[in-house]
Amino acid sequence: MISAFFKQLWWGGLAIGLTLQVTASTTDLDRQAAKIILANCFTCHGPDPDSRKANLRFDQPLQDQIPARVLIERINSSDPEAIMPPPKSGKDLTRDDIQILEHWVEDGANWSSHWSLTPLTKPSVPDTPSETSINGHNPIDNFIFAKQAEKGLAPSEEADALTLIRRLTFDLTGLPPTIDEIVAFQQAYHDHPDEAYEDLVERLLASPHYGERWGRHWLDVVKYADTCGYDKDKLRPNAWPYRDYVIRSFNQDKPYAQFVREQLAGDTLYPGEPDGILGLGFLAAGPWDFIGHVEVPESKIDGRIARHIDRDEMVSNTFNTFASTTVQCARCHDHKFDPVPQESYYALQALFAAVDRAERPYERSPAIEAQKASLLKAIQEGKTQLEELEEELETRLGPEMSDKASMVERLKTKIKLKEQPVEYGYHSSIAKSADAPKWVVIDLGESIPLRRIRLVAAYDDYANIGAGFGFPIRFKVETANNPDFEEPFPVADFTQVDFPNPKLATVEFSTLNQARYVRVTATKLAERQNDFIFALAEIEAIDEEGINRATHAQVSSIDSIEATPRWSRSNLIDGKKPTPNHPKSAQQWFTITREIADALAQAKTTKWRQQREAAVETIKKAERKMDRLPPGNMVYAAATHFKPQGSFRPTQGKPRSIQFLHRGDIQSPRHEVTPAIPTSLGYTAESAASMDNQTPESARRSQLALWLTAHENPLVWRSIVNRLWQWHFGEGLVSTPNDFGRMGQAPSHPALLDWLATTFRDSGGRFKQLHRLIVTSHTYRQSSASNSRWARLDSSNRYLWRMNRRRLEAEEMRDAILQVSGTLNPHMGGPGFYLFKLEKTDHSPHYEYHKYDPTDPAGHRRSVYRFIVRSQPDPFMTTLDCADSSQSTPKRDETLTALQALSLLNNKFSTYTSERFASRLEQETSDLKQQVKQGFQHVTGRAPSQSETELFHDYAEHHGLSNLCRVYFNLSEFSYLD
Amino acid sequence: MPRQHHSAFSHRCQKPLISRRQFLWRSGGGLGGIALASLVLGENKTLANSGTLSGKLHHPAKAKRVIQLFMGGAASHLDTFDYKPFLEKHHGEKSDFGEPVEAFQNGLGPWMKSPFDFQPYGQSGKFLSEAVHPLGQVVDDMAFVHNLVGKTGVHSQATYLQATGFQDPGFPGAGAWVSYALGTENENLPAFVVLPDHRGYASNGPKNWASAFLPSQTQGTTIFPQRENPIPDLYTQAGYVTEASHQEGIGLINQINQNYADSRPGDDRLNARIKTYELAARLQLSASEALDISKEPSHILKLYGLQGEQRHYPKEINIPEETEYFGRKCLIARRLIERGVRFVQIWSGNDNSFPRRNWDSHENIARDHGPLAQGMATGAAALIKDLKQRGLLEDTIVHWTTEFGRMPSTQGSEGRDHNPYVFTNWLAGGGIQGGVVAGESDVWGYKPQDRSQPSQVYDIHATMLHLLGIDHQRLTVRNNGIDRRLTDVHGHVISKLIA
Repeated sequence: MISAFFKQLWWGGLAIGLTLQVTASTTDLDRQAAKIILANCFTCHGPDPDSRKANLRFDQPLQDQIPARVLIERINSSDPEAIMPPPKSGKDLTRDDIQILEHWVEDGANWSSHWSLTPLTKPSVPDTPSETSINGHNPIDNFIFAKQAEKGLAPSEEADALTLIRRLTFDLTGLPPTIDEIVAFQQAYHDHPDEAYEDLVERLLASPHYGERWGRHWLDVVKYADTCGYDKDKLRPNAWPYRDYVIRSFNQDKPYAQFVREQLAGDTLYPGEPDGILGLGFLAAGPWDFIGHVEVPESKIDGRIARHIDRDEMVSNTFNTFASTTVQCARCHDHKFDPVPQESYYALQALFAAVDRAERPYERSPAIEAQKASLLKAIQEGKTQLEELEEELETRLGPEMSDKASMVERLKTKIKLKEQPVEYGYHSSIAKSADAPKWVVIDLGESIPLRRIRLVAAYDDYANIGAGFGFPIRFKVETANNPDFEEPFPVADFTQVDFPNPKLATVEFSTLNQARYVRVTATKLAERQNDFIFALAEIEAIDEEGINRATHAQVSSIDSIEATPRWSRSNLIDGKKPTPNHPKSAQQWFTITREIADALAQAKTTKWRQQREAAVETIKKAERKMDRLPPGNMVYAAATHFKPQGSFRPTQGKPRSIQFLHRGDIQSPRHEVTPAIPTSLGYTAESAASMDNQTPESARRSQLALWLTAHENPLVWRSIVNRLWQWHFGEGLVSTPNDFGRMGQAPSHPALLDWLATTFRDSGGRFKQLHRLIVTSHTYRQSSASNSRWARLDSSNRYLWRMNRRRLEAEEMRDAILQVSGTLNPHMGGPGFYLFKLEKTDHSPHYEYHKYDPTDPAGHRRSVYRFIVRSQPDPFMTTLDCADSSQSTPKRDETLTALQALSLLNNKFSTYTSERFASRLEQETSDLKQQVKQGFQHVTGRAPSQSETELFHDYAEHHGLSNLCRVYFNLSEFSYLD
Repeated sequence: MPRQHHSAFSHRCQKPLISRRQFLWRSGGGLGGIALASLVLGENKTLANSGTLSGKLHHPAKAKRVIQLFMGGAASHLDTFDYKPFLEKHHGEKSDFGEPVEAFQNGLGPWMKSPFDFQPYGQSGKFLSEAVHPLGQVVDDMAFVHNLVGKTGVHSQATYLQATGFQDPGFPGAGAWVSYALGTENENLPAFVVLPDHRGYASNGPKNWASAFLPSQTQGTTIFPQRENPIPDLYTQAGYVTEASHQEGIGLINQINQNYADSRPGDDRLNARIKTYELAARLQLSASEALDISKEPSHILKLYGLQGEQRHYPKEINIPEETEYFGRKCLIARRLIERGVRFVQIWSGNDNSFPRRNWDSHENIARDHGPLAQGMATGAAALIKDLKQRGLLEDTIVHWTTEFGRMPSTQGSEGRDHNPYVFTNWLAGGGIQGGVVAGESDVWGYKPQDRSQPSQVYDIHATMLHLLGIDHQRLTVRNNGIDRRLTDVHGHVISKLIA
């Protein structure tokens, strides 16, 4: 039955193959000619009218402009004045180039439309070529095998089980498989290879680590970082919710169309959904010039330039990411190679004319919301209990007290500060706790018959305290005739009960003793701002005749902050004190306040106090937990409403007027442009021309999102499946993933690209389904071993006759080291951890990587959660070729440098984790030989050979296990995946 | 030797001793010696930075290397190299530019003469301010461009523009382009080295010398000579790693990695990776040697303003501190250049924090520009003299640049606001015609004398590349659909600058 099915396909395929071949040759010629013309002629004869010579443009049908043979005459001319390209251009055509152009002209000098812009149709699946001896697993293999047969190549055998599980685990989760996982898989694979492999794929796709690995790919493209970049490189403390959104979206297998829409216009298209706001972090992910926005207003040229560059970044990020189109080339002139007129570039800027990058609120995850709700409930219950206790007290105190209370309230509103001298008073040094000993003594110089002691509280607006600043909560006043207060005369003792703060009233105590010294001792200090002090404006000692005898006294104290003129010991007796506007009311207020306080002190029973304390404790505990919930619910995203900062002000949704800028120069505006969706990029939306300058800003973005994700849009679906392919194989079917234009590369397998794009699109745009398809193909499961025969024909492995061996990416390397050494903390999400010491944040933050402490457990989480500094990237990760967040990184570099060797050998992270790895091994087994073996297996997945074990064992015996672990992390077998 | 971190000094000074020991055992033979003898490089481009144009320059080169001095924060042309008698005459009078001017902040006060006196120097009689007087001794080797214009007065964009040729992030630094084109002359050292102001990075930090879309080995390698690890991770700080464990460990790594490579034929990367460990060992060696200025004779140290005394500097900006910091970097630059580094970039001035240690003198020109300029001029003059006496000046370009200029009017009473409308560069050596001025600013130093013919960074870069044997229009790399150049779509060689 199967063979009949294939036979049918084969015949069908043959027929199609024949017709395709005819078309292919024309297209090939067309492509070759285009390549030559692009490289040699377009500078003067392209779509850009400003640089165009002789009014001739090769991007449009030649016959309408000149007889095609003129082209051949000019390139073959012997007249130096006539020959093309002109010698001074530095361009030169080879004999082959000329031949191709001649053929092309003979063939009618036709342009087929550019491959990426042609409508997307599902190609039929070619049959497996008869010469291919290997059975494919799914249609991907048919496409790949067919191309191989065409080139005289053939696929390689399937890789072994260890290679497969290592390859797949890193590829889908960014982490190495554990020894147990490897052993279990090898067993299962031995018995039922396909089943075991498919189970493995399912397990890995279901792992939350999948999103961490694939989210990181996406963050590379969109330039995600946790700082702004440019001058100062300020922190973006709330960029991470977008990063977590991306990871979650991958883990949830969100349909791609929704993923795109949320990132461009989630606020309008998914109202009320947190992801609709979080996705907008995409538009804000790139660099942003703090100075150009905050310190320079939009009314200035520099301010306009900054905002122009900012919008350009949004436009190019959108089109490079979703449509693999380099629209930014049309900022200064019509795109020289692709159909993007300058006018439509500015129309795209107008789509983003109202948004800026700023923090905006979003809802939190349901789990956290639920936690928050239960905490709020606890707080509320505590508060209710407090109210009940107060009511109980009020009942006990009776109506008289409640009258007094309302009187106090009335008086309080009347009393204000009238005058405050420059000399505030006395101020103790600052204490960490309320019970620190503090006192002041005034020496009247002689023993005096005293009648009254008066205290006036200080006034200081510090921490918004104002009246009553530093007045003790508990204290005592004594007089004595010797300086040591050996036999003191008590004047007032409030050491066992709180004394109400007198604010602007004067506190007066009677005394009948004759004494020379007056002492005020604070036993419970007033709180200032998380610390405690004792302050007083004035002490007065009144004698029988009503005269204040303290004005010439000597003041001493346990300590003092001497900050003249405001604070000084001598200010305590200088007669200068804050005065209220209504001294009488102030006194009256205080008298009643004290009466209430006394009554309260009596009414508060021990039981009442205990109940109250318990309620207060409940509230405090819940509030502390609230504080520990993920901080804030703000995300750094595209926003129209936000808190202004200097010159950086929200548009409130009113789009800015976007001008067509001649040569991209902000000082050469030509006319206002109308927002519009492109009509020249493969698919024209029906609503393309429906916008004008009155179109609300959110509608502009949502129309763009809908156009991009339309079923008919050829760019978007081709772009994303190519990215996915590339992230699996290391090379895309189109090797320029951000550029599907004429300057980009043509696809190696155009039919496969379109088959993948339509299959992906038509099955709901689910990434996991596409992963399944790709990783279960034989093409993916092949061995990476080279073969000199095929290598001669296709050294770059463009036709995938083997799998590509790859080096671990920076994050994989760091995460694998963490996991293998037993250091990895798998906690997901939340604010990024620092791999540096952060200093001088007030102005230009310094990110001091060389001061990083590798033992800090905060840094032991997966690398995708690190705090990414844009202008000052992490040197360790940069050395390992991590993405540069200043530019879109569709494909990681894989370089080999001496600095990499130095980093892996000497970086504090490497040497610390080597030690941790050694302790892990020591815990696992006590025998050195076993430790050596086990360690190697953790790192490479396989047991070391006899001779390897001996070498490693010898080395570990001489230099210790930590040194061996350091060696292990430097093995190629650790850092490469076959 | 390091001296600015007093509290940590005793701890920090141990490291150089260890590295010197490492130096000894490595040169003493063992694996280091074997590696040195057996290393074959150059076949693998991913490893050795051999330069895309090496052996096929566009035209014969006059220069082989560049030392660029970059003044962070925007150095005033009016107080250093561009003398304006008009301002002396009209000092304190209400400024009038003859057109509306948009100042970055509020710097449109009265005309302000320089707080420094000017006098003529050299055969050319070029007027220099007393703040840069040490350069008077070499002024006849210097060529000035006084009519440079920028695009914005925003530090970050302006720094990007002068450093990479583009005002937004994501483009390679000029040094990365040169390194990409020419490679290194000594594969044991990076082709492009950056000596940042160690008190902090100027605007954009390392993005000014990034490789962006060029191969990553073309990026500037930052060296902080004052730090324990002048190049990140050059040495280990782990106590358990001994010289022997390190040495034997490398041997073991190489042996196992060689087996791995041998069992996977056809993959150059695997052998190249082994070579990176050999190269790393040699980099340790070469870098320590290149950065060790202790063997420099005292007259050389003196020339660069390095008297060798350990000193604690006052909190306020001061001449001795600036002289020592800049001079040290200039001397190290010379040592690096001598050893085959292609492009050295020295930064003067850190981030825009307070107290100021950069050229952004909004508040007070005399206070900040005085010490910064004098320190810079001492080091730069020493560098030119020293290169010249070693015969290196003839094929080494020294290029002084900054973000933009400063206004001829006052800000506050003693400061100057940003002036992106005109500023100065100078060049020396490497085929540059000394003693010339190519392009003047107007009578105030506000805009170019001839506003229709300003010079731009593209022209400076085109000229620099030209002297290095490179046609700036032909050094391109395709990125995201565009053939990128250091000079974007602009740039003309300034012929008057060329000897």
